[in-house]
Amino acid sequence: MTDQTGANNNSGLAAKDELASELDNLNDKISHRDMDLVRLKEEKDAEVRELNEVKVELEEAKSVLEIKVNAKTRELRDLTETLERQVAERTRELQLKVEESENSRVALMNMLEDMEDLRRRAEEEKEKTLTIITNFSDGLLFFDVNDRLSLANPQIEAYFNVTKEDIRRFIGKKIADMQSVGLKSLVDLMSRSLQKISRKELFLNENLVLEVSCLEVASRKTKIGTLVIIHDISREKTVERMKTEFVSIAAHQLRTPISAIKWTLRMILDGDLGPINDEQRDFLDKTYKSNERMINLINDLLNVTRIEEGRHLYNLVLKNLEDVIESLATNYASMLSQRNLTLTFKKPDEKLAPVKIDVEKASLAISNLIENAMKYTPAGGNIAVEVAQDGSNIMVSVKDTGMGILKDQQNRIFTKYFRGSNALKMETEGTGLGLFITKNVVETHGGKIWFVSEEGKGTTFFFTLPVAVEESKSNKL
Amino acid sequence: MGKKILLIEDEEVIIRLLSRKLSGIGYEIALAMDGQEGLDKMREQRPDLVLLDIIMPRKGGFEVLEEMRKDDRLFDIPVIIISNSGQPLELERAKKLKVSDWLVKAEFDPKEVVEKIKKYI
Repeated sequence: MTDQTGANNNSGLAAKDELASELDNLNDKISHRDMDLVRLKEEKDAEVRELNEVKVELEEAKSVLEIKVNAKTRELRDLTETLERQVAERTRELQLKVEESENSRVALMNMLEDMEDLRRRAEEEKEKTLTIITNFSDGLLFFDVNDRLSLANPQIEAYFNVTKEDIRRFIGKKIADMQSVGLKSLVDLMSRSLQKISRKELFLNENLVLEVSCLEVASRKTKIGTLVIIHDISREKTVERMKTEFVSIAAHQLRTPISAIKWTLRMILDGDLGPINDEQRDFLDKTYKSNERMINLINDLLNVTRIEEGRHLYNLVLKNLEDVIESLATNYASMLSQRNLTLTFKKPDEKLAPVKIDVEKASLAISNLIENAMKYTPAGGNIAVEVAQDGSNIMVSVKDTGMGILKDQQNRIFTKYFRGSNALKMETEGTGLGLFITKNVVETHGGKIWFVSEEGKGTTFFFTLPVAVEESKSNKL
Repeated sequence: MGKKILLIEDEEVIIRLLSRKLSGIGYEIALAMDGQEGLDKMREQRPDLVLLDIIMPRKGGFEVLEEMRKDDRLFDIPVIIISNSGQPLELERAKKLKVSDWLVKAEFDPKEVVEKIKKYI
């Protein structure tokens, strides 16, 4: 540069000046820049301050927020806890409810099961009853309260030769409307209505005899219907017939020779076959009496009533008991005079109500009492027979003035084969069956028998028979 | 002339005794030894009364009664049974066949038979 300085002295000055001005400018500029820088620095500082302030503010805000957040968090936690508790409670409640309803459901199920059980049992009972009815050996017809047929078992079909379809057709019908060939005999026998009947015989053919009963059926005193029971008595009828045939033949075989003896002796004794002397008469008379004893023994042996001990009644008819006794009493005239006894019969002036009796059996019962009275009453005594109405019964008494029944034997007097010790001494003959049969006969007729007796003074036997209730005459008991 | 009685009976002693007794008091007696003969004689002679036994050979008393009740000519002849039988069922059957009386031989004697006959003829 030095070379340029010499050459350009003048110019140097100018350059110097220029440089100086430039320097001045630069200084100016620097000072400006410095000023700017200071200003800038100030500005920046201010900014920094501001920022710091903001930072502080922010930090404050942050801490406030943190506090708030914490509070909120706590709140939330509390809320959550509360909610959880509530949920738990609700859950428990619900569980309880569920349990409860489960219990109710179980209870209900149990109830249903019980009901089902009951229903099944009722069904079973019904089934059982129906099976019994179906297999019952008797024929059964059941009519409801309105007298309409509601049930008939298969025996009915067999007895009356009707079909299941016939029976089905008759269900719901009244008896009078049950018209079919087979059932006609039954409907007629019952007079086309359901009146009460008891053991009425229905003869269908030689091999089939039925016994019909019709009775009201009540449950707890309320009528629930009417039952018609049909019982097959064919076998009993056959046995009865066979028994009759047997006794008939036995009677014939045993009685024929002795009745020939009886008749012959009687006619000789009556002089029909020529005169006899006194000695002959005496012998024949004794023989006749022995023969009579033999006849009585055979009669006893053959007496059907004795065989069955008076327990069966055959011909039930409506009868006035006083008429029966009166006609019986006439049989005893000769026996009474032989024994020097009297018999009195007392009856009310008005006719008594009729009784329903098997006349033969009832007669036997009464004659047993009268004959006993005669047998065990010493000569000169009296037998008093009396008949009277006693409420719904007819009462008969047979009073004697005889030897009486020993006190310690009184409870055995109706026992089979029993004979009082004093009676045995007085009358050696006797079977000890009379009073036993009499009691059976009276009780089979629905009556009662009893006695009062004093030793040495006499005995009175009493018995009652119920007055007949209005019913068709041909009915059996 | 006395009333005519037909005796249908197979027991000889009874026949002889009854015939003697009855003819002795003026009855005219016809005899038959069994049921069939009895029916024949009834139709032939029309007796006023029949004494009839029950158990007999050929035809028994009940069969005779049944035929009599079916025969208009014999229907109303009174019949007294003289038999050694006589149980309730037999009596009932006889009653249905309109028998007038039933005498058990062992319980009656000829004199009582006569009394019964007098009730009917």
